[in-house]
Amino acid sequence: MILRRTTPPRRPEPQGTYPPTEAMLDEPVPEDLRKAQAGRLRAAWKAPEGWRYWSAVNNTEIGKWYSLTAFFFMLCAGVLALIIRLQLAVPESGLVSSDRFSQLFSMHGSAMMFLFAVPMFEAISILMLPGFLGSRDMPFPRLSAFGYWCFLIGGVFVLGSVLFDAAPRAGWFMYPPLATEDEGPGSDIWLLGLSFIEIASIAAAVELIVGVLKCRAPGMRVNLMPLYAWYVLVVGGMILFAFPPLIAGDFLFELERSFDWPFFDPERGGDPMLWQHLFWIFGHPEVYIIFLPSIAIAAMIVPTVAQRPIVGYSWIVLSAVGTGFLSFGLWVHHMYTTGLPGLSLGFFSAASEAVVIPTGVQLFAFLATLVAGRIRMILPMLWIAGALAIFTMGGLTGIMLALAPFDFQVHDTYFVVAHLHYTLFGGMVFPVIAGVYYFYPFIAKKMLSERLGRWAFWLIFTGFNVTFLPMHYTGLIGMPRRVFTYREGLGWEIPNLISSVGAFVIAAGFVVFVWDLIRPKGDQPRISRNPWKAGTLEWAHDVPEESWGIRSIPHVTTRYPLWDDPKLLDRVDAGRFYLPDAQEGHRETLVTSVIDAEPILIQRVNTPTWITHLAAIFTGGAFIFPTFHLYTPGIVSGLLAVASIIWWLWTSTARPPEADSKDAGLGLRLPTYVSGPDSTGWWAVWITMLGDATAFASIVFGYFFYWTAQPDFPPPGARHAGAGAVALACAGFVAGWVFTVAARRLNRAGRIGAARGALALAPLSTAGGIAALIVAVLPLEPATHVYPALIWALAVWIAVHAAVGIVMQLYCLAGSFLGKLTPRYDADIWNVSLFWHFFVLSALVACALVGPVARLL
Amino acid sequence: MTEQEYQPHAEEERREFAAESESLWRLTLAPVTWALHLVLCYATVSLACARQLFPVDTARIWLIGATVLALALIGWQGWRALQQWNVRNTGALSHPEGKAEDRHQFLGHATFLIALISAIGTVFTSLPLLLLEGCR
Repeated sequence: MILRRTTPPRRPEPQGTYPPTEAMLDEPVPEDLRKAQAGRLRAAWKAPEGWRYWSAVNNTEIGKWYSLTAFFFMLCAGVLALIIRLQLAVPESGLVSSDRFSQLFSMHGSAMMFLFAVPMFEAISILMLPGFLGSRDMPFPRLSAFGYWCFLIGGVFVLGSVLFDAAPRAGWFMYPPLATEDEGPGSDIWLLGLSFIEIASIAAAVELIVGVLKCRAPGMRVNLMPLYAWYVLVVGGMILFAFPPLIAGDFLFELERSFDWPFFDPERGGDPMLWQHLFWIFGHPEVYIIFLPSIAIAAMIVPTVAQRPIVGYSWIVLSAVGTGFLSFGLWVHHMYTTGLPGLSLGFFSAASEAVVIPTGVQLFAFLATLVAGRIRMILPMLWIAGALAIFTMGGLTGIMLALAPFDFQVHDTYFVVAHLHYTLFGGMVFPVIAGVYYFYPFIAKKMLSERLGRWAFWLIFTGFNVTFLPMHYTGLIGMPRRVFTYREGLGWEIPNLISSVGAFVIAAGFVVFVWDLIRPKGDQPRISRNPWKAGTLEWAHDVPEESWGIRSIPHVTTRYPLWDDPKLLDRVDAGRFYLPDAQEGHRETLVTSVIDAEPILIQRVNTPTWITHLAAIFTGGAFIFPTFHLYTPGIVSGLLAVASIIWWLWTSTARPPEADSKDAGLGLRLPTYVSGPDSTGWWAVWITMLGDATAFASIVFGYFFYWTAQPDFPPPGARHAGAGAVALACAGFVAGWVFTVAARRLNRAGRIGAARGALALAPLSTAGGIAALIVAVLPLEPATHVYPALIWALAVWIAVHAAVGIVMQLYCLAGSFLGKLTPRYDADIWNVSLFWHFFVLSALVACALVGPVARLL
Repeated sequence: MTEQEYQPHAEEERREFAAESESLWRLTLAPVTWALHLVLCYATVSLACARQLFPVDTARIWLIGATVLALALIGWQGWRALQQWNVRNTGALSHPEGKAEDRHQFLGHATFLIALISAIGTVFTSLPLLLLEGCR
């Protein structure tokens, strides 16, 4: 063991020529070299075979499974809707009971939102994004795989409950007290199952944001990115701010369900309105999280149809970013009838109207592109046209609903049901199907049938309008949503019957579509490589299929490289561009800079594995066992999940490479290891922690919400957390942070012994902080009133994060002793320090709220 | 146009349009101002109406002041972005080339448009302050 001070090693910089000159690109690649390179590349990226196929982590495999699974869940949720429509077809029908009906509509909504719409976006992005960006794979393939397996387990668990008559039945937004008081496991299944899936969503968001920012083809500056990438960036950001409030809400909700901590119980100072706020701070942006990536598909298809570049690229970026932001200012329009002050309603009504502007801008940009181009009417465009028609209808009723006085009249009626289906079908289902038709040749290297596609379109389009257009009327004449039956003579019979017939026409359309997807296509002739004559990089794919993503990573100088650079395809195929080879047999992709996409690193990409399955199964156990109050197996499962994730990280992330730099092709030599803000891992931690901080902020919001809305928070004469112990806890956490950051600096300076010392002291002081925090809150009884309950919730949140922080510190300490963490290869400690920056801030806020602030209020 | 013409000398460009890694953040400054303004309006009215810390009419006057401040901030962002876009000198409405100059102007253009929509959003949000009274 060497403990003496070593000089800090020099970190390699990119060396050689960049950007490549035309002369370099013109130089031919010798035929035999080209073949040998292609052979090695093919071997490195070969998908596992036989039963090992399921250990694949490549974005093409994960993306396919992900989208098929989400589509399957959608079909299941569709079947639930058909039963709903059967029940409502005639008055006083006895097909299903009231209880069963509640399960059906709760599950229909939850599954469509959480198991189809959001995961479908993630699935399509994982599948397509590397193609759009000219990258080999996503930056963290195993994270995508982990997210997928979590989604599959959680989805089967949640959706399966409907078969056991145990499904959630308080509506897809689970309002307390109905949902908190509900007996049976339904509400717990919803909460825990969906929290689990939300985690998969955040994992996908991390993956997609880092993918867009760091894995673009060299030269693809931010003004050249395909518009889809802009949308993904915006939506990824939205997920980070929208999902965490729901996770925080779930956390409080489950504490109430399991331990009777009265967050939403007015008798003990709680307030059901907090759930409504947290749910809709998530719920409204979520609508746009679904809509934006789907309309992004239209932004890819429209230029191809018009055979010209998109009109108003900057305007569409405005539209995506503007919609992303404004969508966070709308949530209260779901709560117009809760008795908030008129002024408050006014703010949200105004913002709801304002969001129309950016939403409309992109639609006009599409129309302008079509007007300016020479339209080649292809099948995907038919679906886009249908989408625009239906979405515009939904948008118009949205403008009506955003007006509070109108909403008072139709709140919770079928008018709202009609509106939301118009926006979601027009804004999501139709564009996604358009995308399936458009990208199918890229995904499956086959074509879907033009004739079946037209049949499916007209059936679904007609059926949709037959089902949902009458619902506007049904709602206006007073039929509330969620009633399991209705009396004769109210005038509701005919419109309901029409809606039910329409629903089956939609179903027939989906049958045609599914058949087109799954019918054998073996006898189809080989498709042309770019069947729609598109200009973006994904159509540089290989037909027949190769699993390397792209043969060599091109240098890009325009928005539509395939249109603007006629030599590009030949050069890609010849391996003239970057990373044409896999000499050591490793999977690799390029990491580039955020703004200008200058190459900075050759990133080793991970290979097939089973560890992600294990991690997902144990994580699933940690969420699913507590649903049935089986806490011990739940905790054991959680510990095993942590162990598998540590094993996974230890064995395959940030390992010191064999060589410090290597040849990337075209005379460029790039480093193979970076740490800190240059690395993808650091960005992933940053993004994850931003989401985590949002969840924490939501709990803090709860604290001030109670103080504002409840007269007795904290109740007079309430017992507070011990001041001295809180101060000690605070000191412990700050010391943990100081030691961690010091360890990073000492390690980089080559003072390994001192760094190890700091890394040994850090977990000790953090553990001291946890102990002090527990001592501080122990005398408070959380089941008696919402004040002690919230103090406890803050303490639990901080203690769990501190425990994660300890694991990270010990991980770095072990890394230092075992040669994974050295002064040169220090990515781990950079990432851990970043976690600690965020943690120490939240710990300070929590200590302030638990200690002095509570006494001041 | 050939590859060569697309790519002027890197050093020259670097000096004039430095990599602007902060510019993605700048893109969000104006809408963040809008968001903070909305939260401020909502929180202040709640404190006046639910907690009754101060009269709601006082709150309205403060908030109108805050609106002016927010609009000034957004306007300043928009003005900076307009300079960066430099449309009056270049006439560039689209920035489709792989040059640092195009990227620089594009970010200015997009930031300007986003500032515009943020200003509209802020004006919309503050209309109730002018039109509605009291806590009803």
